[in-house]
Amino acid sequence: MTQVSERLVGNSFRPGYRFQRYWDTSMALAFFFAEVGTGLFVVSLYLDLVPGMILGLALAATLKPYFHLAHMGVPKKSWRAIARPDRSWVSRGAIAVGVLVATGVLHILAQTVGLGLPPEVVNVIRYAALAAGLVVMCYQGFAMAASEAFALWASPLLPVASFLYATTAGVLLASIVCPLAGHGPAALPQGLVGVLLAADFAVVGSILVAARRKSKGGAFSVELLLKGRYARGFVGGALGVGLVLPFVAVIAGGDALALRIGAALAMLAGFFAFRLLMLRAAVYEPITYDLAASIGLPARS
Amino acid sequence: MAKMGMVFDLKACIGCNACVVACKQENSLPDGVFFTRTLSHDYGEYPTNKRVYIPTICNQCEDAPCEKVCPSGATYTREDGIVMIDNEKCIGCSSCAVACPYDMRTMLSDEMFQKGLFGTGQITPFEEQGYDRYIAGTAAKCDFCSQRVDAGLNPACVSTCPTNARIFGDLDDPNSAPSQAIEKRGGRQPLPEKGTKPKVYYID
Amino acid sequence: MSGNPPVQNSLKPGKWINSTCKMCLHSCSIRVHVTDGGVVNKIEGNPTNPSNAGKLCPKGNAGIMRHYDPQRFKQPMRRTNPEKGPGIDPGWEPIGWDEALEITAREIKRSLDKDPRLIMPSLEDFQKMHIWFWPLAIGNHNFYQSGGTMCGGAYHPLNGYIHSAFGAANDAKYCNYWISNGGGDGFSSHLHAAAAAHWVAKARVERGMKVVTVEPRMSIAGAKAEEWIPIRPATDRLFAMSLSHVLVNEGLCDYEFLRKDTNAPYLVGPDQFFVRDADGQIFVWDKAANCAKRWNDPTLKNDNLALEGEYVVNGVKCRPAFQVYKDILRDASPEAIEKHTTVPAATVRRIAREFAEAAQIGETITLEDGRTVPFRPAAYNYYRGAQGHKTGMQTNQAFQLVNMLVGNIDHPGGRCGVTITDGCVDNNHCQPGECGQMLGTPHQLGHMPPFAWPPNEYHLAGYFPVGVNGPHLNMLSYTEPEKYGITFKPDVLVNCHSNPVWSIQGPREKWIQFLKDMRFIVCVDVIPTEMTDFADIILPSSDYLETYNAVMIEPPYTEGICFRQPVTPPLYDTKSEEEIFFELSERLGVLDQYNEVINLILGFNQKPHLALEPGRKYSDRDIAERLGQLWNDKPIEWYVEHGHSSTERRLDKWYRPWEGLRLLFYIEDLPVQREQLRRQFEDAKVPFRDEWPFDDYQPLPTTVLDPLHYEPPEYNLYAITFKDIQMNFGESLSNPWIKDITYRDPVHTGLLLNTATARKMGFANGDIVLVESPYGKLYGRLTTAEGIHHETLGVSNALSRTRNENRAVLMSGGHYNDLLPYDMKHTDGATGQPETTCKVKITKLADWPDFLKQGSTVYDFVDSIEKAEGKGGMH
Repeated sequence: MTQVSERLVGNSFRPGYRFQRYWDTSMALAFFFAEVGTGLFVVSLYLDLVPGMILGLALAATLKPYFHLAHMGVPKKSWRAIARPDRSWVSRGAIAVGVLVATGVLHILAQTVGLGLPPEVVNVIRYAALAAGLVVMCYQGFAMAASEAFALWASPLLPVASFLYATTAGVLLASIVCPLAGHGPAALPQGLVGVLLAADFAVVGSILVAARRKSKGGAFSVELLLKGRYARGFVGGALGVGLVLPFVAVIAGGDALALRIGAALAMLAGFFAFRLLMLRAAVYEPITYDLAASIGLPARS
Repeated sequence: MAKMGMVFDLKACIGCNACVVACKQENSLPDGVFFTRTLSHDYGEYPTNKRVYIPTICNQCEDAPCEKVCPSGATYTREDGIVMIDNEKCIGCSSCAVACPYDMRTMLSDEMFQKGLFGTGQITPFEEQGYDRYIAGTAAKCDFCSQRVDAGLNPACVSTCPTNARIFGDLDDPNSAPSQAIEKRGGRQPLPEKGTKPKVYYID
Repeated sequence: MSGNPPVQNSLKPGKWINSTCKMCLHSCSIRVHVTDGGVVNKIEGNPTNPSNAGKLCPKGNAGIMRHYDPQRFKQPMRRTNPEKGPGIDPGWEPIGWDEALEITAREIKRSLDKDPRLIMPSLEDFQKMHIWFWPLAIGNHNFYQSGGTMCGGAYHPLNGYIHSAFGAANDAKYCNYWISNGGGDGFSSHLHAAAAAHWVAKARVERGMKVVTVEPRMSIAGAKAEEWIPIRPATDRLFAMSLSHVLVNEGLCDYEFLRKDTNAPYLVGPDQFFVRDADGQIFVWDKAANCAKRWNDPTLKNDNLALEGEYVVNGVKCRPAFQVYKDILRDASPEAIEKHTTVPAATVRRIAREFAEAAQIGETITLEDGRTVPFRPAAYNYYRGAQGHKTGMQTNQAFQLVNMLVGNIDHPGGRCGVTITDGCVDNNHCQPGECGQMLGTPHQLGHMPPFAWPPNEYHLAGYFPVGVNGPHLNMLSYTEPEKYGITFKPDVLVNCHSNPVWSIQGPREKWIQFLKDMRFIVCVDVIPTEMTDFADIILPSSDYLETYNAVMIEPPYTEGICFRQPVTPPLYDTKSEEEIFFELSERLGVLDQYNEVINLILGFNQKPHLALEPGRKYSDRDIAERLGQLWNDKPIEWYVEHGHSSTERRLDKWYRPWEGLRLLFYIEDLPVQREQLRRQFEDAKVPFRDEWPFDDYQPLPTTVLDPLHYEPPEYNLYAITFKDIQMNFGESLSNPWIKDITYRDPVHTGLLLNTATARKMGFANGDIVLVESPYGKLYGRLTTAEGIHHETLGVSNALSRTRNENRAVLMSGGHYNDLLPYDMKHTDGATGQPETTCKVKITKLADWPDFLKQGSTVYDFVDSIEKAEGKGGMH
């Protein structure tokens, strides 16, 4: 630990690792609610589970923007976020969220009160909502992956993780909403949750392996997550509570609703820990390592 | 079309941080904000240990990751290659800050301005005349003192540097001071593997 | 976007005014930008001055933060709280100028009328020598400012002997091999730091000048050196002598120079005096004629002068001065010295050979003025850390002798004398002395007062005929008045820009009591300091952006006047120092005397039309105007426009200004002064005459060890203190921009202890420790580091501030100066230079002592930086 903290240099004028705190709790909450809500919406869309759609869309359309705006430096100008979809995943995501909310609401209305729209139009709306939902499920991963700054983030696995986590949360929540809303058990393949949890685990592991290989900064971040100051939250929370525990619960408990609820809550808690700690463990790397080669400096390990 | 860049001469730099202070006064930076920093790096073991002072600054990357991720279009690159922020457009999403591998962006906050440089909660006439240019909540960074450059001057940090450790000019012009320095003494960009194509080089 | 309104400060609508920096005591030229709204918003270097060439150090860049410091004194004030102490609110009550000056004059006069010696002046404005010397107007020679021995106590007198100059610098224009020993010249500190760093960097980068740095802590000079050689503190003289040993014994000297341009051939008798004839003419040995001749014998050829050997002249056994030093150096072989310095003998031998080779002995260069002079591009630089020891005079001489042996004194590329000011452009500082020698001028800031018993000066200056004022010696009179024959006790302190309670060594508690004992203290200052906490009256002075001044203050490579002018009217109800001291002088009835002092000190007498007239008070502008005219007859309007008359040092005054005279290789004046002083002590039966350190007066340095090396063995580490460029001279750490950069630099964030030593002694990075010397203590936190000698604890000056009313200054765990002795045992008898290194022991503590747990300390601030996690980009 001493060694780790010595390599973190805070705001001093020494080369070493610096934490990023530009994206922090608010952003983690925004990501979390976007992915959980959209995951639930998309799964519910597949299942035609209107209460799931409503709940999912509500999360994605209220809490996600709320926390995102809370994060923004200039909230009143945030509409500008849509200006550069040609290059920015944040722009693309913002647009996707807008489309998702608009089409999602239309779709839900069409499904419930009925808007008198021709079925082809409803279908278009449905597919538009699905497409937007899929984008929202992944874009935050893309937004993080676009940052070459952090080896922990700069990986194509990040959007995969986003998508998988969102799907897992969606499936777990849908399988709870379904019976609670009186729809009976969700029409989902047996074992899907287990497979998804295993896939989440695999992709998280792959992210760590890739980060560790990619650079010293990546290895440092992984060290922070697995052994350092974030180990308890990451190993215990994100992996243990978030993935292993629900996996065991689902495998052992089958379809018992209480167990499912417990598994879902654990998974969500772990998911949030994953979201937050992925932000917190990202470190800027000192430029020294690279200069070392050119100016004959041995790099400080 | 020019390509303004900077060369840091690690042999010359004495780590005095006059550059840092010159930047703070030229740009009225609020407390705790630095557009440039000079790092002190010790390595090796006593008694053959060494120390090098490493100036750092926004690298005005050609493939600027901050520009690529900026959703509002606030970050753009001028014709002479200086990466700028239009703070009227900036929404403060911090995407640029997490995209910059060099941690050279700062997200401004109200507190920074209210606290004052003396930490008393009151601001001096110097601060009062200077803080207008900033918008709390937006991103800020070094722009090579673009207005000084437009006026034909060197950036403030360059012009004050006692040891000429900062060499500024057009990298497209093979006869410019930085091009010559790179040609004669090599030159290495910071973190080239990040693919950002910095317009800052280090020589020693 | 060029169309946008300017947001960068230097481009806003406004005007530029050429002026002079005063963030340290030197005088880089600046241009100051003032907006149309009257706000000072940018200070830059003035590129037309070849000295700093448009460059500024961080302090110069931070001047605006001094100008707009909210804690500035805004009007005269009177104390209402009778209790004085560090950080105790004086309960200031604003009063008018008339009342403040009236009270001040009344209180000074009350004591002055009884005895002028009751006044204790502490006037530190080194850019205004006419303020510094104000006490002469009241017939007072006391001295309590830190700019005496804590500066270059022995350095200046010795430079006076070697160069007849106040300072000295390695000639960066030609130097190719630069030894830096315990001084920051050209890298971090001392003479015109930004300017010197500029010239030296050019030499390093453009010409590949090699730098070898010898010092206990890797300073900036150490970091930039091709080779850093850690050395045990307070052994630098021995290192220099071991270099000289190699030069002398391997024949690596400039013998032609030594014969022709120095007194090295002069014959020295066993009594340390030159061998003279009845008329006082000194003998030399003519090798060709194999006989002694008078130094000025027309048949003598320089080539035939013996430098070595032993002779008998008029029955007196004698040796040339060179041989005397060679004999002394017999004990200074690198192998013998290694055990003291810890510098490997092989390293010393290699450095000596490299140095001599780089000196290109025998080479010449033709200057622009047509002269062909020796070219010696290798020089030994040293300053504060290396010279600040008990044996200061000897130590300084040992360094200069390395230079002299290779013949580089005042030669291109070598070691050149730097005058503090030439007054008038045509003044040459070198005068003929006795027997063909250059006149040694150790009294660069004026003669010491004459000997008297009982003493007339509280700090005993009369006992240092070639020294400088030693403010720490006030403590001797204060604590042992009977022993030191003290017949008076100063009770009024007149303080101007001085912070002695912070910057003078010795026990803080006693210094505080010393101040509390004063009946009346007046402080002329800009901001609160440790010192102003004790003031009864504050007379607020305007700052350097609000006043006039003209000064040439030891610029290393240039000469001329640097002119200061107001860039704004005073922000507050403040006055210039001139106004204040002329007012006080008038009220005290000494105005005429003061004007005469100024005419003398500033040299107005040289151009009688400039002389101040009796009965008149003058403004800061009047004085500045005259100084400009004294230099080059230019009117003040010319200076207002140009800001300076600085040009490169005129070649005839820079290289060999002593042409035709012999330099003092052997300083006979030191034994002369010693014996005279000894006689005075004997005649007056001064009770402490047997313990007075007369042995410190030596014509050539010896290998004696400084007494600190003999402290009890439990004190197992050496302690040194240091500054870097951001703290160069004077107050810096109340300035937020200086704080910003200082406490982010790892060398200023904790007490530096060598990593391996820490491991061996059972300490770890971050340990809270008590540091104790035989004389005092401080608390601190360890930073383990590689860049520090393995027996040394490095205490940054940034960790030495004590509690005071200036809330911007962060308190540390005590002051390094508390660790230092103030007694004569550790004071150079010749110069008054006190020992500035000490032996310490350190003890690990479980936690900070209580007084450091209340309120924010420097370590809390360091933690807030080092443990920050970058929220919002606060980097």
